[in-house]
Amino acid sequence: PAGPGGVTVPRAGLKKFALPPDYSDIIFPERTKLKFMDKVPAVPKVKREPRQLRDIRGPSQEATDFIQGQYGILALGGGYLHWGHFEMIRLTIGRSMDPKSMFAIWRVPAPSKPVTKKSLGHRMGGGKGPIDHYVTAVKSGRLVVEVGGRCEFGEVLPFLTQVANKLPFPALPVSRQSLQKMRQEEEEKRLNNQNPWTFERVVTGNMLGMRKYLSPYDLRLKGRFWGKFYLRHRV
Amino acid sequence: SLCAKMAALSGGAPWRRGWLPALQLVRRGSKAVTRHWKAMHFQRQKLMAVTEYLAPRPAIPPRCLTPRKERVEEDSGYMRLLRQQVEEVFRDNRMIAICQYNSMPGEDLVLMRHYLRKYNIEVKFVLNEIVRPVLAQSKYKNLLPLFVARNILLVSPELKAKEMLRVLKGVPQVNLLGACIEDTILSRQGVENFAKLPPLEVSQGQTVGALSLLPSQTSSLLQRGPAHLTALLDEHIRRLQAGGTGTPPEPPPAQSSEGH
Repeated sequence: PAGPGGVTVPRAGLKKFALPPDYSDIIFPERTKLKFMDKVPAVPKVKREPRQLRDIRGPSQEATDFIQGQYGILALGGGYLHWGHFEMIRLTIGRSMDPKSMFAIWRVPAPSKPVTKKSLGHRMGGGKGPIDHYVTAVKSGRLVVEVGGRCEFGEVLPFLTQVANKLPFPALPVSRQSLQKMRQEEEEKRLNNQNPWTFERVVTGNMLGMRKYLSPYDLRLKGRFWGKFYLRHRV
Repeated sequence: SLCAKMAALSGGAPWRRGWLPALQLVRRGSKAVTRHWKAMHFQRQKLMAVTEYLAPRPAIPPRCLTPRKERVEEDSGYMRLLRQQVEEVFRDNRMIAICQYNSMPGEDLVLMRHYLRKYNIEVKFVLNEIVRPVLAQSKYKNLLPLFVARNILLVSPELKAKEMLRVLKGVPQVNLLGACIEDTILSRQGVENFAKLPPLEVSQGQTVGALSLLPSQTSSLLQRGPAHLTALLDEHIRRLQAGGTGTPPEPPPAQSSEGH
């Protein structure tokens, strides 16, 4: 307020104290650090499996929502995680988090899919190669790890981005609120799209005979997925 | 695969050997899921380009239309507590002086507080944004112009203005602006005049003395006639004794004094 001479003296007002966050409803698991994942499952597989790349394609149906933690890494593309990736995640998160106040849990199973590799320098033919290593398949939209505890998103973000950049597929650190916001925005985008022609409409109506050039899977994927890639900018 | 197709078609009916074009076309090119970005068919590219997202674009941006929301700040418990404290201060104390406060060294501030504490005067730091609403609603509306920029309140249940002024004179950083003594608003000059007044007991005594001056003189007034007569008689006796057998006693001075 201006004084009697019209002189205003700028100064700080009352300090408003924000209440500290309430961590009362957090349940810690028995082991706060990430479990060690085996390179090879306890019963190694004898029969070699066909490639089945459909376990990479399309949106994920499992582990799409948070269970225990508040923050996690969301996969934005499909890919295979092998033992090296698991060790990297386990060690980076174990090194950067405080086991007394934070916990982390796996949202992907241990590697169980056998991947064969022929020895180097041989010609084609001679049958399928022997099993080389085991991997887990991850589809887009799946959570890889979850982190929780008495911590804020800002504390967890640095090492989660570090991990997310090293994964074989594009990944993003998320919190419960940011994931919900992302899904809301997607929905809003879908609703307020001004383009009357959508991929879904064209495919379901087979307009202009487009299905000749599209896969039958495109009915389900609706133009948002291409191979293992997730096209985030598409509606 | 082209030769196989031609061979199959040349047979006449293409479905004779149960030959499915989908299976044959798979041999050409890569699988559906590849590590690299698989090149799309041109028709598919065109479809993707046509079915892209178009953001809504109103003629007038919503930024220009919606009026700016003025943020109404919530009352936190802390603010309420401070307001309560200010109200208590104004209720409990008889003398409240408002001074302008310029920043002074910590030790000087502690010393000043100590000296004022000896006379039972408390120093209170107040925030304008709390005091102004409290005063505006109470009867002290005329004190509002004083609460601008940094100020402190010197409050006391007793009225020791002289000592307070003496302490404040020694502190150049604190300037007295005004005071509210016994629900009377005084300016700086008023406070100085108030300080020059004698203390209450002395003034009470003075008033009592002034009132009782006339009654105290009544007895002496009544006694004045006989006292004068007694004095004259004494003087006469003294002269007689000093003169010896001399002059006879003089009744007229006694008659004249009785006539008074």
